[in-house]
Amino acid sequence: MTDILEANNLQKTFGKLVAVNDLSFEVKEGEILGMMGPNGAGKTTVFNLLTGTYKPDAGRIIFKGQDITQKSSSKRCRLGIGRTYQIPRPFDKMSVFENLLVAAVHGGELKEKHARGKISDIMDLTGLSSVKDRLAGGLPLLDRKRLEMGRALATQPSLILLDEIAGGLTEGETEEVLKIVKEIQKRGITIVWIEHILAMMSEGVDRLLVISEGRWLKCGNPGEVMNSEEVLQCYLGAEEE
Amino acid sequence: MVKYKWPILGVLFVGFATVPVWGSEYVLLFCLLYCLYLAMSQMWNLLAGYTSLLSLGQQAFIGFSGYAVAVLTNYYGVYIWLSVLIGGFFSVLLALFMSLFIFRMRGIYFAIGTWIFAEMLLLWFSNWKYVKYGTGLFIKPPHPPSMTTIYYASLIMGAGATAAIYIILRSKIGLGLMAMRDDEDVSEAMGVEIFRSKLFCFMVGSFITGLTAGVLYVFQIFIQPYKAFAIDWTVILVFIVIIGGIGTIEGPIVGTFIYVLLSQWLAEYAHISLLLLGIIAITIILLAPTGIMGTLHQKTGFAILSPRRL
Repeated sequence: MTDILEANNLQKTFGKLVAVNDLSFEVKEGEILGMMGPNGAGKTTVFNLLTGTYKPDAGRIIFKGQDITQKSSSKRCRLGIGRTYQIPRPFDKMSVFENLLVAAVHGGELKEKHARGKISDIMDLTGLSSVKDRLAGGLPLLDRKRLEMGRALATQPSLILLDEIAGGLTEGETEEVLKIVKEIQKRGITIVWIEHILAMMSEGVDRLLVISEGRWLKCGNPGEVMNSEEVLQCYLGAEEE
Repeated sequence: MVKYKWPILGVLFVGFATVPVWGSEYVLLFCLLYCLYLAMSQMWNLLAGYTSLLSLGQQAFIGFSGYAVAVLTNYYGVYIWLSVLIGGFFSVLLALFMSLFIFRMRGIYFAIGTWIFAEMLLLWFSNWKYVKYGTGLFIKPPHPPSMTTIYYASLIMGAGATAAIYIILRSKIGLGLMAMRDDEDVSEAMGVEIFRSKLFCFMVGSFITGLTAGVLYVFQIFIQPYKAFAIDWTVILVFIVIIGGIGTIEGPIVGTFIYVLLSQWLAEYAHISLLLLGIIAITIILLAPTGIMGTLHQKTGFAILSPRRL
């Protein structure tokens, strides 16, 4: 598998806080790469660097062989990087359909009439068809999470960044989300997935990357990574014998 | 009622278009002012209501374009309506120049930035011999247009500005603007070109505001910097849009009617007119926080010119 994305020596500081510290990793085309780490490890900051919300102080980001480090957030979206937000941020005063339409027309660069067919397909996949005319601001949490995924999909991405998409959901809802994520992967879309739910990470991802205090800690097979000494010590707080 | 929106709008337009036939001189004057204020307030609504560009410097475009009309007509003998058109383009050039500086600012800083530009123009024009300092200029075209002609020009501006904002909001840019209104950062992450969209709206807003100001000064025949570049213009536009309903196309249509009606009545109380306008605005905002049409839309879903996609 070739690398769709490479992050090389990324560095980001906020005042005296080093949020991301010389972090390098790669994402292989078609895989689901899980990303874990304790609270404040810098996971969401990494997403914000990859999507262009923040510019790194140092380091480079290569997407599909192209250096995108200095490209704007909207340009990166049009190049094929879609994202969701940890706390859902729908366009509140627009309907579910309009939320998806914005993403399809701007991010996906589709004509409005051509976008409608794609959106219908996305709504079927994410289970949004029954609420398509409702204002996004009034949706319950599960539908907001679905909309986050649907909107990211509507941008016609080759890489989706999922930020705690199952956070705050019940067990049943979490399983539903996992099914959608797997279906997205079947469509050939690469996924980087931040999540705190261990079961989902061990079942749902191909490789797992653990970061701590903004640094690379361990990356590889989810089972091996979770049981590794470094991760147990850092992430789960186990004592060395 | 919304089902019949095009017939309703058609009847309204025919009604306005035939005012010189059936209306008295007072009605004609009322409708003329209505159309001019409608055009300018729709543009402020486009900026503040959809693009988050809270401009307090619309008077910069009004005065700059008005002076362009006066200078071109008086000093160079340019045909009056061509002067108005050139005034509109001058306004765009001014907006482009302003954008070099103020587009680095956001929110309240942007608002203050636009206001400062307008104040700088006021100082410049009131100290510029070429335009006779603060005493002002009469606009004296060789063949002054009739009141009816000026009225039709204002009707074109009022109807044209409303149509323009509707067309923009129904376009790809408009879809992005509505997303920007809800969450600018997220809309950018969804592919919306924030800077380009804002610049486009700022250019359109300055062009139509400039053209409208040109027609206004053809009607008023006198321009003076202290009036032309006064913050009062923006205060009026804010009043109209806020009481009508910011971020709705119908808001300025209703708000302008209320303002023009009130301004006729308040002319008798000129010394306290701004105070009375303020009291009226506060009362309406307390009763209908999102303006008359905004509140009506929230409570009943009523909208004639909705840019929503179904």
